[in-house]
Amino acid sequence: MSEIIVVTSGKGGVGKTTTTANLGVGFAARGKKVVLIDTDTGLRNLDLLLGLENRIMYDLIDVTEGRVPYKKALVRHKRHESLYLLPTSQTKDKSAVNSQQMNSLCNELIKDFDYVIIDCPAGIEQGFQTAISAADTAVVVTIPEISAVRDADKIIGELGRAEKDNIKLIVNRIRPDMVKKGDMLTMDDIDEILSIDCIGQIPDDELVVTSTNRGEPVITNPVSSAGKAYKNIVGRLCGENIPFMEIVPEGFFAKVKKIFKM
Amino acid sequence: MSEDVVFKGSRSGLQLIFDETVDFTSILKQLKTKLESAIDFFGKGTIVNVAIDKITKEQETELSILFQRYGLTLKAIDTSLPKVSELKSEEAAVEASKEITIIERTVRGGQEIISNGSVVILGNVNPGAKIIAGGNIDIKGTCRGLVHAGAFGDLTATITADKMLAMQIRIADLIARAPDNLETVDTTECARIKNGNIVIETVNRQEVC
Repeated sequence: MSEIIVVTSGKGGVGKTTTTANLGVGFAARGKKVVLIDTDTGLRNLDLLLGLENRIMYDLIDVTEGRVPYKKALVRHKRHESLYLLPTSQTKDKSAVNSQQMNSLCNELIKDFDYVIIDCPAGIEQGFQTAISAADTAVVVTIPEISAVRDADKIIGELGRAEKDNIKLIVNRIRPDMVKKGDMLTMDDIDEILSIDCIGQIPDDELVVTSTNRGEPVITNPVSSAGKAYKNIVGRLCGENIPFMEIVPEGFFAKVKKIFKM
Repeated sequence: MSEDVVFKGSRSGLQLIFDETVDFTSILKQLKTKLESAIDFFGKGTIVNVAIDKITKEQETELSILFQRYGLTLKAIDTSLPKVSELKSEEAAVEASKEITIIERTVRGGQEIISNGSVVILGNVNPGAKIIAGGNIDIKGTCRGLVHAGAFGDLTATITADKMLAMQIRIADLIARAPDNLETVDTTECARIKNGNIVIETVNRQEVC
């Protein structure tokens, strides 16, 4: 069964685009046919994270305005044959696409793909409304900071208003050492405020930054703890029952291992 | 731009106030988007007052048709005789506060519940949420938002919560804010007015209900 997933957060910089890229690669690695739609018009990044910037010919706006069929605008991933990107325009702004155009586009895409994953822009304005309009499932990304949790709460309220009831939570960038010292919100604290189904806890991992800069999502990196967490999330979204991995501070041995890249 | 129309809680109930210098059709349009956006959740049958001397008869019918569509009731009141109408509407406010609105979900940041009567919330009230009730407020969960009971002047109104961590508690026209170092108590607490101050004390649910 096909599914349209929107990745959203409210606050910027919590890892929506990173999550979208990793989920896309994760589903594709399982042999699913996936299309990622960047709706952050004017501030597009998803192509960079996938290392596909130089292959873009047409964009979302060309498709929604009927200049080209969507198949022409899709960019196939270098390594994953079943992963496609529909990039957005860097020169227009969010008012260039509306909800109806998004809905009809997604209705077409869903016939050909197993998963349509929409990368939502930050904020709660038109860009957000457009991005969520077609989705069946919403994945809300937050980080263990009070401002991000507050914004996630607002976003969940907005999603409820748009009658999107299938909402999942991903908590990104958890720093186990800080949680242990009591300097960071714990999973329990977040759950108490947001009280929605959590499908992922991702530890803070430097490898995410390096992989972002290199254009290779961290999920492909077998030594990365964040990569493992993303793999588990993909499994859970496929309906598997995977227990949460324990996020513990890095021990001395692990650090030595990392230095020698073992 | 959309602030030409506001709903204001006053002693005599919820009041619709609009800028008379703005074109009435534009007022209607703004009012419609305001009601449509449903950010402000009004309890069914909420009575909204509007000053009778500010609108014509045709405008009154137009407004009441619009209000009916959203489950609100329009009442044109004569504000030129404040003494009499205030007395009457104060009785009306006490009467209305007997109605109960039940909300069976968590009220999240940015959401607002407005009711002439009492409000029962089966869920949490998150930070940034607002509950405004003419009567009492009872929260079967954690209260972290802003709560205003007795919003139309009922000094006997109370606010009860399983876990009271409210940012601000307002009863009638008194305001209390949370101390900067809030300590958590794990029992049900109830806020009420005593000797002109808002006091919070632990209560037993059985006694309250």
